[in-house]
This record gives sequence, C-alpha cells and structure tokens, in this order.
Amino acid sequence: MTRLLPEGASLRFEGLEQPLQILRALGGGTQGEVYAVRCGAEELALKWYLPACLERDPQLPRRLRQSIALGAPSEAFLWPLALLEPTAESRPLIRHPKAGFGYLMALRPAGFVGAHRHAGGDLEISLQNVLRAGFHLADGFHQLHLKGLCYKDISLGNLFLEPGSGRVLICDNDNVDIDGQGGGSVLGTPGFMAPEVLLGKAKPCASSDQFSLAVLLFRLLTRHDPFRGQRELAIRCLDEPARRRLYGEEALFIFDPGDPGNRPDPEEHAAALVTWPIYPRALQELFEQCFGPGLRQPERRPLTGQWTQQLSRCLDRRQHCPHCSQETFPDPPRPARCWQCGSPLPPPLQLQLNQGRVSATAGNTLHRHHGDPLAPIRLDQPLARFVHHPEDPRLLGLHNLSGEPWPGQLTNGQSFTLAPGKTCNLAALQQLHSSAGPITVLRP
Amino acid sequence: MPFPNVRLSNRPLHFIYLCDCSGSMAAQGKMQALNQAIRQSLPGMAEVAGNNPEARVLVRAVRFADRAEWHLQEPTPVQQLQWRDLEAGGITAMGEALELLAGVLQSPPMEERALPPVLVLISDGQPTDDFEAGLATLMRQPWAQKAVRLAIALGHDADLEVLQQFIGPEPPGGGRSPRRPLQASNATSLAQYIQWASTAVVGAASMPASQVQGAAAGNIPLPDLPPTVLDPTDDVGPLVW
Repeated sequence: MTRLLPEGASLRFEGLEQPLQILRALGGGTQGEVYAVRCGAEELALKWYLPACLERDPQLPRRLRQSIALGAPSEAFLWPLALLEPTAESRPLIRHPKAGFGYLMALRPAGFVGAHRHAGGDLEISLQNVLRAGFHLADGFHQLHLKGLCYKDISLGNLFLEPGSGRVLICDNDNVDIDGQGGGSVLGTPGFMAPEVLLGKAKPCASSDQFSLAVLLFRLLTRHDPFRGQRELAIRCLDEPARRRLYGEEALFIFDPGDPGNRPDPEEHAAALVTWPIYPRALQELFEQCFGPGLRQPERRPLTGQWTQQLSRCLDRRQHCPHCSQETFPDPPRPARCWQCGSPLPPPLQLQLNQGRVSATAGNTLHRHHGDPLAPIRLDQPLARFVHHPEDPRLLGLHNLSGEPWPGQLTNGQSFTLAPGKTCNLAALQQLHSSAGPITVLRP
Repeated sequence: MPFPNVRLSNRPLHFIYLCDCSGSMAAQGKMQALNQAIRQSLPGMAEVAGNNPEARVLVRAVRFADRAEWHLQEPTPVQQLQWRDLEAGGITAMGEALELLAGVLQSPPMEERALPPVLVLISDGQPTDDFEAGLATLMRQPWAQKAVRLAIALGHDADLEVLQQFIGPEPPGGGRSPRRPLQASNATSLAQYIQWASTAVVGAASMPASQVQGAAAGNIPLPDLPPTVLDPTDDVGPLVW
C-alpha cells in the first residue's frame, strides 16, 4: 500500500533541529497515518494527517499548539509533543500535492492492547486490573478537566490497556480543547456521545465527557453496553437512525431502578447480567445517576472525582471467595455472598487508616490517601502491599513499599520496626505507625 | 481470577462482492488485478473485523458473466477466507446478479437482527441483460435498502449510469464521493478502493466511528475516500533528460 511519507527517508520540519527518519508505518485510518520515526537517538511516533482533515477542521493546528504548550494532564495520555510542518526541501518527498502536517508523540509501549479487545472478550485480565484501568481512565479525565480542558471524543477506540497492571493510555488527543471553546468539528462516537450531543442540541464539552466516560467505564466493567437491552432486540438493522433512538431519543439504562422497560435479555445480553452484580452499590449508583437523571440533565452527572473515589474504594474491598477463589468486592452492610458461586463470604481482616479501610487480600495496596485527608487519590505510588509468604502461601503479610521504617506493636504487646522493603506477618500484627498515619488491624 | 468469560453480543455484518467476469475483464490483466486486490485486502479486513467486537464480518461473492452464480456462497468469516481466483469469459448478466443477491437479503435466510450489509459491485462494462428488473427486485428487499451500496468502475468502458442507479441518488455537487461510482483506472487505484471498502466502510458499518459536524447524512455515514496518493515514481525527479 502506498503511504504518504516515504519509509526510510529523512525529513526536515520547521522548528525542529534534527531531521526525522521515517522508520516504518504503524497504521492508517480515515484521518491519517502513523509512523515510527527516529529523532536523534530516540524513537517516537508521528501522526500525519490527510490534507482533507485540515479542510474540514481548520482549528486542528491551533488546538495541537495549545495542547503542546499546556502539556500532558497525566501519564495516561499519549500527548502531542511537537507540531510538524515540512520544510520547503522536504515537501516534495511527501506523496501528496498538498503536503499536510502532523505531530510527534511518544510511541505506545509494547504490552498495551486496544480496549476493544477487552470489550470483545478477547483478553485475559483480572477484575482488579479492570477496576484499576477504570480508575486510571477516570483519573486521566479528572486531571484533564482540572486543567480546564475537555476531550470530546472518548470511546473504546482511543483507549489502550496493559492487562498485567491495569495501566491505561489515552490516545488521539487531537480534539482536546479548552472547555467551552466551540471551535472543533468533532462530535464524538455514537454509542458514547451524550444524548444532547448525539441529537445535535449541544457541542461536546466537559459535561458530555462525563457522560462518555461513564459509558466507557460501564463497557470496561461489564463488557456490555448501558443501553442495549430489550429495546435493542426490537431493532432489526442497527444503523445510524437506530442508534440515535437507542442512545438518544429513547435511551433508557438497562438497569434503571425505576423503569424496567429495557432490561437485558437473558440470552442476548448475558454479559450484563453476569457482571453487574459484581460491583458494590455505591459504584452501581453512580451509573444509575449518570444514565438516569444525568441522561437529560448534564449537571446531574457524576464528576470524575466521584468515579475515582468509588473505584478506589471498590478495590480496597477486594476479597477472594474461599470456595471458588473468584475476586469479589463485597458491600460491608449487606450479607456478603460470592457473585460467582453464591457462597457466603466470611468477613475479612481489614486494616483501618484515618481515611479508609482496606481488606487484607494479597495484591491489595495501601496508599497515602488512605491516611492523609489532603492526599489526592492515586494508585500509582502504593505505600504497602499485601503479599503471601514466598514459601508458605497460607501466611499473609504487609510489605512496606515506602522509604521509611514504620514502628509498630504486635498482638502480644511487643514493639518492632518494619523496615522499608520488609514484610510483617499480619497474624501477629496489632498496629503500625506509617508515614500516612496509624494503621490498625481490625479482626473480624 | 480472570474477568468472567462473557462479551457483548454481536451482530452479523454481511459483506458481498458482485464481480463482473465478462470476457472484457480478461483484457489488460483486469481479472488478475481484481483477484489480487481482493486477496491483498483480506488481512486488513480481518484486522478491522477483530477490532470491532460488535460485528461478525461474513463475506460472500457473486460472479456474473453469461449467468450469475455464487463464487463464494457460504457466508464466510473473513478470518477464515481464502480467495479463489475468478475467471473471465462471457457477457454481463448484471441484472441476474442482483436477482441472486435479492434472494439472500430476504429474511430468512437473512438473520432477524444484523448490521447494515455492505454490497460492492465491480464492473468494467454494460449489463447485457435486464438490469432494471434485477435492480427493482433487489430494492424491494428492506435489507437492500438499508445496505451500504458501493460501485467500482474498472477502466473507461464501465457504465457509470447503471452503477449510480445501484448506489442510489447521485449526491449534489461534483468531485469524488463514496456515493458515486469509484473510478479505478489502474490496478493501484482498484486495490485502494477495494481496501477502503473492506476496511474503512466495514468499520463504519459495524462500529460507529467518531463523527464530525456536517458529515454526510445517510443511514451509515461513509468514511472519506482514500487520498489520491502520488505514484511513487513521481518523486524520483525527471525520468529522462
């Protein structure tokens, strides 16, 4: 296939000291093509737009310049680094009469896969890492919105996941703009667009992002779609007019607490019925809020910070079913049963910090926000992690990941110090004094 | 423990080629070029299908010459498809091909629920049978009305009017449009159009792409056509001096 940029050649761009060597094409879409390029010793990715893009969206270079100047909101974004316009001598090497333009960004690291693979059931990933991915996604949008920006086109197509960690990468950041600036031409992706945008009543903005974020979180957590229930079964040909009804004019959440008119079909929509009961009520309520009152009233949609809070709390409750060893996230006041096998779940041993409780389950982590009310909710810098003893998996311990020694007491009253990098056996632990405040063992 | 082994239920997306195999297709390697273009497009099509969890992409093909017949009758998942070469010889029973197509677009055999089918008509000449009757039969089928209908004109002798009738009303304004016959004057542009139809259009019909303001209306917004890329020999400088 003929490409716009000549592979192997070195091209020079305005304002860039070094030439970029075009290494190989990574992909192409309706907007343009992406290449791996070498810039000095570094390998980067280059997105080159088809000239038709600029004709349709003349604000594109302005938005990219603005984003480059503002910098990435967080590490979750594959953010534009530099705008590229070819120099006069490089223009003839580009295989199009109008040379076009592009931008540089970091290469997507190996190990990240498209979120559609998860939605399509074609990815091995733990529930913990799906919830972490949801957290990182919501946190990315939290940081983006805090910068006064909006993304406008959230969908499965521009999210990548690392299945072994739950880290995410948000790509295609070229529609990002200052919230409320109506310059761009993108409307979003049907199935993810807020109803008012889908129906042409509003332009994408931060509150329509909140809706699209909730749809994407629902797709990640349930492998189903929030609006595909009985009403979808009545649609023979799922085309654009049908999507406008399903996601706009007649949208009804499949788990709407007040209107059962669009419940999932046990055969066609089994995924939703299996996965929805996994999650605690507080998380379900955010979806009910966003897809209920928030459907028509943008100001009633949950904020990004509410999602990060409830997703992190859900992770704190993670507990294995003693019968089938599935991951569960029990709601404390409700009698806990495993969502998979129905066995009763014993109350877990928990650690109490000033701001929260974490169940003692291997792989669960303690963070600064569990102790410090002023610390932002983050998952990427754990203070401690629950681990099994390397030789005796029946023993569960707390591994100090901080750089500081933590003084503590054992159940027999004896004092000790948990040095950085060391693990203490929970069976004998009473209390620790961490850099984020006291940690007390709560036995069931 | 892994995430439960469940997924969003998907719908079939029927992609059907209608290939002119009349005698004139034997000239200038057109038949071979079409076989190559389709074969080369399959990996990209399989990738798009894999990226769209909501669709199950199934391919079929009709050949028409003296008669119209199924070249690939069984709806075949694109990942499993091995393209068998078409051979040229005979006249141009395009109308009969549309009748044959109409037969499979009624329910049953069409599933009760599906994504819009994608129908791609490729021809280098004029129909020699009753095209109008065939088209009328086809367009009585609701699934044919809902389908994305594309046409590729091979060479300069193709009947553009007939191909436009297959697509539907001509869009206003001039220039290239997916709602006009795509004119492939050489093997490279044929391959580009086949690639475009089997990837970008399949993508648009199966999972909605991000939309921009003022996008052309229709029951499936069609993606941009591939750009007219300069021939690679254009950038080597003068060929003779």
